[in-house]
Amino acid sequence: MVGYLARRILMAFVTIFVVVTISFYMVRLMPGNPMQFLEAQLEQQGGVSPDQIRQQVQAIYGVMPSGPLWQQYLTYVGNIFRGDFGNSMLNPGQSVTSIIASALPWTVILVGVSLIISFVIGLVVGTILAAYPESLFSRIMTGVVSFLSAVPNYLIAIILIYLLGDLHHVFPISGAYSNNTVPGFNLPFIGSVLYHALLPMAAYVIVSFGAWSLAMKGSVTTVLGADYVRAAEARGLGGRRVTQTYIGRNAMLPMVTNLAISVGYMFGGSVFIETYFAYPGLGYRLINSVNSRDYSLMMGCFILITISVVVSNFVVDLIYPVVDPRIVKPGARRTKITPKPEAALQTPEAMNA
Amino acid sequence: MEFLKDFWRILRADKTALVGGIIVLIYTLVAIFGHLFAHVSDLPAGGQAYLKPSGQHLLGTDFLGNDTLSELVIGTRPVMIVGVVSAVIVIFVGVVVGLFSGYVGGFVDGLIMRITDIFLTIPGLPLIIVIASIIHTTNPLVLAIILSVTAWAGLARAVRAQALSLRTSDFIDAAKVQNLPIGNLIGKQLLPNVGPFVAINFLLAVTGAIYAQVGLFVLGVAPVSGTNWGIMINLAMNQGALYTSKSMLYLFAPMGAIVLLQVALVYFSRALDKLFNPRLRVQ
Repeated sequence: MVGYLARRILMAFVTIFVVVTISFYMVRLMPGNPMQFLEAQLEQQGGVSPDQIRQQVQAIYGVMPSGPLWQQYLTYVGNIFRGDFGNSMLNPGQSVTSIIASALPWTVILVGVSLIISFVIGLVVGTILAAYPESLFSRIMTGVVSFLSAVPNYLIAIILIYLLGDLHHVFPISGAYSNNTVPGFNLPFIGSVLYHALLPMAAYVIVSFGAWSLAMKGSVTTVLGADYVRAAEARGLGGRRVTQTYIGRNAMLPMVTNLAISVGYMFGGSVFIETYFAYPGLGYRLINSVNSRDYSLMMGCFILITISVVVSNFVVDLIYPVVDPRIVKPGARRTKITPKPEAALQTPEAMNA
Repeated sequence: MEFLKDFWRILRADKTALVGGIIVLIYTLVAIFGHLFAHVSDLPAGGQAYLKPSGQHLLGTDFLGNDTLSELVIGTRPVMIVGVVSAVIVIFVGVVVGLFSGYVGGFVDGLIMRITDIFLTIPGLPLIIVIASIIHTTNPLVLAIILSVTAWAGLARAVRAQALSLRTSDFIDAAKVQNLPIGNLIGKQLLPNVGPFVAINFLLAVTGAIYAQVGLFVLGVAPVSGTNWGIMINLAMNQGALYTSKSMLYLFAPMGAIVLLQVALVYFSRALDKLFNPRLRVQ
């Protein structure tokens, strides 16, 4: 168990480290990189000495543009691990950290709740599809689900806005809560938050429960044909015992693995959905900063999105041994129960989520 | 020949897959020959904006007075090219890394898989957005490379799992006894066995690339120049398509085109799945 945990923690740190390195590379080393761009811009404006320019650049990126590269790199990595992402270019005086800190909770709430809702719906629908493939519900649902899992999420968001937000003015299409409420633990505020989150969440769930249902259907179908299920039935065990203990539990295993993978896709999808619903989370900030060329904020959002994904993956890794105790035993790692090709096929479709 | 016959039999039996295949074929033809029939000018004649659908403009016109249908046709090619090129890159990298890693095994395999895991964890879309916003390219090849930056990892993992189970099989032992070079082992012995799986994933990689690519244009992260579906949606949104019903068709036409292609690709890939997977064929 300790070895398993240590491995997971190490991987999480390595991943974050790689992403920070990528972002340093992009800010500093890429041809026409943002730091040079900023220096050139300040030079063109004139009236400032080279020293002042360097100070400005340092304030924004947290790295002195002069000096050896390895030193810049160390400073950059050190800053980020201390939580210092530099200053936002467009909002002078505001640190990237404070902007991100105000955006993160919204994304986590939005993504977390939507993920759980669509996961549960997917499990139920997928099980029904596999258990009663001939029923009317299954026939209709199979069509709906495979259609939905092929439709890009941003298009669903646009259609939802068109149908619900605008034409009939039923739901708000921007912000996370109404201006009339006071943020805090009070009823009007919470109500307003729910009201504003409803459409974006609906968009998430509509897009992603299809992929979950298909994955669960594949998983249950595979388990249904397994020898131990037949053996259990032959032993005369009750239907309920067989479905819950033998089929349900084993069919869940690949789903939990998928859960870890899809967290990343969900955060990716949050970029579109938050942008269209003007929901002030990380994805919305990311696109805003991209469009206004606020590179320090952009890299901060990107790193934070990655860290959120890494942390959520880690949480799933913590849950995994509870669901499948085999995993912590040496020689029985997760790779051994990689989903069958059919199940693996679902993951590109889950990209839409 | 036997193969094609089999394929045709399955397509005929599975109507949705047949329809999907035909739609994919039509899109491909439009991408190749479309520009012979359709025209989009940068400076269209005035007074033609937001015309209603008519015999002359089947889907009406946009805010500049361009024919929406012509724009759809012209926009097919860039989307399809980037989608296919990106899928080729994804498949190539994924299969080579997966087969090599699975076949070699041991420490190298462990190392490669840890690297793959990192790419699986990094959220692909935000990374693509960040890279695209800094590079700001209009070159389709560069765009395709950016789009495949993380997508290969999932495939590499799946292919590796198959290579792992294949490497202990008799024909690999036989090949090893003959002292065949590793290139032959991977390219000639292992590759044909994962071929079907790769074929299906190719189609899915195309849908993934189209999804991300159109997304970049819709968000306005990739440079808005020329004509493609994403740019059409972007411009329509910026012209306030959601708030006036005038430009509705201009917004929904490219959306329909994308959805139709994506659904067709997925349905068509299911037919391939049946073709190569005997277990599904029986059902």
